[in-house]
Amino acid sequence: MRSNSKHTLNSKVCDNTVVDCRNAASIEELDSRSVALRRMVLEAISSSGRGHLGPALSSLEIISTLYDSVMTHNPLTPNLANRDVFILSKGHGCLALYAVLAQHGYFAKEELKTFCSFESRLGGHPEWHELPGVEFSTGSLGHGLAVGVGVAKAIRMKDEKRNVFVLLGDGELGEGSIWESIMHASKHRLFNLKVIIDHNDMQAFGSLKEVLPQENLVKKFQAFGFTCHEVNGHSRKDLTEALNNTVGVKPVAIIAHTIKGKGIIPAENSAKWHHKAKISTDEIDTLLRSHK
Amino acid sequence: MRQEALLTVYELAKANPKVLFIGSDLSEGTLAMMKQELPEQFLMEGISEQHLIGFAAGLAKEGYIPFLNTIANFLTRRALEQIILDVCLHKLPVKILASGGGMVYAPLGPTHTAVDDLAHMLNIPELNVYAPCDALEMTNLLKLEVDNPFPAYIRFGKGDEETVSNQLQDSEDNQFKLLGDKDSERVIVSTGVCLQPILESLKLIPKENIPLIVHITKLNSFSPNLIKLLQRKKRVLVIEEHQEQGGLFTKLLHFYCSYGLDASTLKSISLGFGYIRRYGSQIDHFKHNGITPENISRELLK
Repeated sequence: MRSNSKHTLNSKVCDNTVVDCRNAASIEELDSRSVALRRMVLEAISSSGRGHLGPALSSLEIISTLYDSVMTHNPLTPNLANRDVFILSKGHGCLALYAVLAQHGYFAKEELKTFCSFESRLGGHPEWHELPGVEFSTGSLGHGLAVGVGVAKAIRMKDEKRNVFVLLGDGELGEGSIWESIMHASKHRLFNLKVIIDHNDMQAFGSLKEVLPQENLVKKFQAFGFTCHEVNGHSRKDLTEALNNTVGVKPVAIIAHTIKGKGIIPAENSAKWHHKAKISTDEIDTLLRSHK
Repeated sequence: MRQEALLTVYELAKANPKVLFIGSDLSEGTLAMMKQELPEQFLMEGISEQHLIGFAAGLAKEGYIPFLNTIANFLTRRALEQIILDVCLHKLPVKILASGGGMVYAPLGPTHTAVDDLAHMLNIPELNVYAPCDALEMTNLLKLEVDNPFPAYIRFGKGDEETVSNQLQDSEDNQFKLLGDKDSERVIVSTGVCLQPILESLKLIPKENIPLIVHITKLNSFSPNLIKLLQRKKRVLVIEEHQEQGGLFTKLLHFYCSYGLDASTLKSISLGFGYIRRYGSQIDHFKHNGITPENISRELLK
């Protein structure tokens, strides 16, 4: 509902920083807001018996921070003319977005219990036409950044002061279309575009190292003309500082080191909980008990 | 046709600052005047079709009307998912200008010949699909399309084609064009630049057998008035510069079945089905596949 004062950030980029951010993400204590959001995600999953749990939990603090203390937005007027735009390119992390939108009052929290049901507005991937607060329908990976670049370019052409935030999964970086969009964002010098990479180091099958390594992301983004920061993706303080940084004329990439399944012990760093189509009541009980 | 179309976009852009031209991998000098006079509305982007469709969707989401031009295949094949999801699922007014429809790029081989573009595009909900026959029809279409809030796929035929659309009359509902006797037992239905050899064929057909000619530019939905024209006809030739499957012939088959018409009266003259293994010119391929005045007149009289 508000835009914070802008900060500057001096990003350190070195191997030690990577390790620090990753370790920090691992040991980050979650605050009461994060705990409450996780409970909302679990309630949605409990009702539907399915969902992408791990990818939602790794993104929760990123999305929550955006809506809490970075973006200009208004739940009462989702199409507010001067709003910032958030696109969840990793659409399978939608449970995190739904929880944050519900907590901000875009729709009633009770609606989370309809997740994935026949007449629900809350599908397994977010739909623009269905739900207030969702800016673009996503689900097939590799699409959101191109759209975000188009929106950011349009905003620049209209000489408006709005920002565009696009959240990518690290596995999603395997899509060639993402790198096309990165080149174009750089060409158009879209300083109003902030690309956040949920770097949980895993995808559905297992670790990125095993499936398709995504290494040296900072150097890659810098080579493509971005200003790049690394942060602990579960630290609201780090995220707020990095996301509010508006210095410079380049688009910004924020490598957010996260833990897949963060905050629910059986799901942490577990490919098993990337997505489940049938979750038993016993498993739900286990998840609820292990909720930190 | 392509040159006139791009100049029309330039004119539209002068009148409306929301109109944008996005080009990809186009030749030097394309719309040089527009680039000079309206640089903010002229975007020459890289060879990255997947990105460009999403990019155009993002611009359209913010109120712009992007006209995006590159070679048909590179959009309809490589960026198919982006057209379906980023543009059409969101009903955004992105206008896809597809160069080289059909066999325009015959010398360049099967990577460039767009023989299945209509098949891909006609299976996408919310997308208007057009294949004009000449520059005049193209220009008129673009002037209307700029105010149409739906996405569009517009197929460019060859350049320097003869203007023939002014020989036909609009149907009462403006959904197709007509020439000839509505009571004739024989009909030729076509789309795109096939109208030129069809009109040539009339010179070879005896007066008593002159057919009704129906030219359909908008292919994604047919007017019910078309039923009145096509029911109880003895022979209906369907002529298109496209593979037999998925284009005009397939749409008509579906239309016939839906309305209980006799589909055995339909005869397809098209590019057949299979990868194009020869080069030559667009006209060479028309001859090879019977899209000639001689074959059209012969088939009509069978």
